[in-house]
Amino acid sequence: MKEVKYIVDTTLRDGEQSPGIALRAEDKVKIAQLLDEIGVYEIEAGTPVLSEAEEESIRLIIEKKHSAKISVWSRMNVGDVKRSIACKPDIIHIGTPVSYVQIYSKLKKNKTWVIKNVLECVEAAKSENVDVTVGLEDASRSDIGFMLSLIKELKNAGVSTIRVADTVGALTPNRAKELIETIKSNSDMKIEMHVHNDLGMAVANSIIGAKAGADYIDCTLFGIGERTGNCNFYDFIHACEHVFHFPMNLKQVRNVEQQVYQELQRAM
Amino acid sequence: MIRMIDNTLTSLDRNLPSKEELHTFCELLFTIGVDAIELTVPVYQRMEYLPENQKFVLNIDFVDELEDYPGFYRYVCRHEADADKLIYELQMNDARELVRLRALQNYKEIRIVGLDDIMCYDSYERMLEEIMHTLPKSTIILCPENTYGCASALAMQWAAEYGSNITTSFAGCKNNGATEEVIMALRLACRHKPNRNLTVLPSLTKLYEQFTDRRIGNKKPIIGKNIFQVEAGIHVDGIKKNPATYEAYDPNLVGGRTELVIGKHSGSKAIQLKLEELGLAFPGDAAVDKILNVVKYRCTKNRKSLSEAEFTELVKEVTAHERS
Repeated sequence: MKEVKYIVDTTLRDGEQSPGIALRAEDKVKIAQLLDEIGVYEIEAGTPVLSEAEEESIRLIIEKKHSAKISVWSRMNVGDVKRSIACKPDIIHIGTPVSYVQIYSKLKKNKTWVIKNVLECVEAAKSENVDVTVGLEDASRSDIGFMLSLIKELKNAGVSTIRVADTVGALTPNRAKELIETIKSNSDMKIEMHVHNDLGMAVANSIIGAKAGADYIDCTLFGIGERTGNCNFYDFIHACEHVFHFPMNLKQVRNVEQQVYQELQRAM
Repeated sequence: MIRMIDNTLTSLDRNLPSKEELHTFCELLFTIGVDAIELTVPVYQRMEYLPENQKFVLNIDFVDELEDYPGFYRYVCRHEADADKLIYELQMNDARELVRLRALQNYKEIRIVGLDDIMCYDSYERMLEEIMHTLPKSTIILCPENTYGCASALAMQWAAEYGSNITTSFAGCKNNGATEEVIMALRLACRHKPNRNLTVLPSLTKLYEQFTDRRIGNKKPIIGKNIFQVEAGIHVDGIKKNPATYEAYDPNLVGGRTELVIGKHSGSKAIQLKLEELGLAFPGDAAVDKILNVVKYRCTKNRKSLSEAEFTELVKEVTAHERS
């Protein structure tokens, strides 16, 4: 029997961040409904703090959803998390920088500050009974010791899923395997694999991540996303539908792509 | 030592580029770090001569052609024969075919083409090790095909940890690993940095598009024209503070540059940076917020980001309105 893996579609968040496109509320609702229909487990619908229009489109997606879980992306900031809570999503995803370049150069903070802040954000969401996943941003260039200690803290705070984000697309298959296996052997966290295609290895790294124990795989329609994009939904299913069980088949994914091509073509 | 053969020039027989284009293309491929270039007899004839001190591999249909075209670094042929300088190429579409290798113990150099799906199976590492162990005395060149989108990854892993010898093509045009992706992955993951220059990649891309009449996708890794565009506020802010936060490598390394695009996902920092980039006066924080709101509204309405001309016009409109 094939192992079940879950697709998290981030076309409406990371995909839409691709320079060139801007989706209207009706576009986002249409795409979400099509993804929901084919059995996508989770749809990352957007970033509420972006604008009131974005919040409204997320609310509409939630209102019209059938069985998919709807998640929203939030910076590691209590104010942003509260705006996310207001949208009433199933899951709030908290993006948490973990590499030293992100912590020290971008945030100009330190590791202690990161741990304290993310735990406050988790608490803010949990206190409103909203489920949380935490994204380890730039995990592929991060110190594994720090990530493991952070994961331990997150587990104690009630987080059960982390997203391992290859934010700059620098992973290679052997590194992907090592990373996921190390996390799995040191914690019982569920892992979501989120990779970018900067080296043309997004599909390969996602497969390797899934084989190493990641339960959830982040994909986008047409592989759109920042820079070279994310793991291409169709290509991922095509590559490993004979290895893993998915609720959708290739024809269904292609059908969705055909129906949303016009809305997404500027991101390609 | 890693050795990379690029076989782009085995795919152009039906639409041969000019002699000058072919020579320039070869020169640029060597410049980015390719060790040897594989070509066909028609391409060789079109080139008329080969540059000195560079390695060329001739793809031949029959072994006896080897004598007709002396002077090549290697010859590739799909017919079984054991001759000096000959690389015997065999297609393997399935990992179960690996047993065929046992009969090829006497071959000095073998190229395996295919194995598209081994990364999807239980342990691709074990299969690659099996290849090495089956033919311990042979040089094995891997040319993974890309039916399942894993060719560059597999070629990179083979080169870095197993047989060192790979065959790829520019932009993966032969349905195999993409030369430029593998070069960059080896550079980032293994610090494999042959003394080469990747800034010629835009010229190589342009030339390739010109003689093949094919267009490289805007988001194609390493060589796509839009891959260094950035719009999301959080990314713009990070890149401004330190480009390494959101870029795996310096765009200048491959002849590119970061481009700030204004759109629905922009933040006020991006607006300020774009104003500065375009030489427009800073209108004050309140006006920047207003510009940002109009940008988001207009981009969403039109379903697209703004061009620089559209942004300039929008700034003029908003600031004129503010003044009046």
